[in-house]
Amino acid sequence: MSESTSEADLEAAETADDLQSYVESPIIMATVRVVSPFVFTYGLYLMFHGADSSGGGFQGGVVVATVMLMLGIAFGIDPLREWVGEATLVLVVAGGVAAFVAIGVGTVVAGGGFLDYSAYGIHHASKYGIEVVELFIGVIVAGTITGLFFAIDAGKDGGDNE
Amino acid sequence: MTPREIAVLALVAGGAFFAFVAAVGLLRLPDVYTRTHGASKSDTLGAGLALAAVAITFGFDLSSVKAALLVLFMFITNPTAAHAIARAAEDQGIEPWTTDEGDSE
Repeated sequence: MSESTSEADLEAAETADDLQSYVESPIIMATVRVVSPFVFTYGLYLMFHGADSSGGGFQGGVVVATVMLMLGIAFGIDPLREWVGEATLVLVVAGGVAAFVAIGVGTVVAGGGFLDYSAYGIHHASKYGIEVVELFIGVIVAGTITGLFFAIDAGKDGGDNE
Repeated sequence: MTPREIAVLALVAGGAFFAFVAAVGLLRLPDVYTRTHGASKSDTLGAGLALAAVAITFGFDLSSVKAALLVLFMFITNPTAAHAIARAAEDQGIEPWTTDEGDSE
């Protein structure tokens, strides 16, 4: 019993030395290659379906963020973070918020209330307005969840290294 | 009962049975490898049979196409997830449970 625990301690020390959460596997890579376009499309479908049925920007954004999680698990989180770039991620989230606010304030400029889509004077204004807003909510949610995923991974080797 | 109802009933019963097997396997088996082994296969089949019952219930409809797609993706992704869990556990140095070790579990 004591032997096995010391062995486990040794192994734990070894894995702590080169703490790599990435395990390469051709099966996972192939599956992610096949599945991720469908998951992305399904996320967009959920976002655009939010106006007149179940679904919406939050759910769709989480599903789109799942694509990033799958890519990270299949091809390594560190390469993915370098490929995306943290500045790009912040820019995407900030751009989503800015677009949301711009649409909301735009109705005020056009003479209605905040997010009062009928002020734009287009056909089915509230339906298309909600769909555009849901799309940007999805962008915000997807970017935030991807950022949280990267942040959790960055904290894996012993705490807060920002 | 129509033949379609009988088919739906048989599929739902089979799906519930395999989901039950997966739950028992998850509770009773000793370590992570045997648990992924027990849960992934029978849970995939259980969910697949239940979704096949859904597809037959809806008949020739867009909903049954969606259910069929769900079955397809479940059969692709569920074993891959089990594979990823087992591989990550192996990478973290978790020893597989064996009977000759004896009293550890």
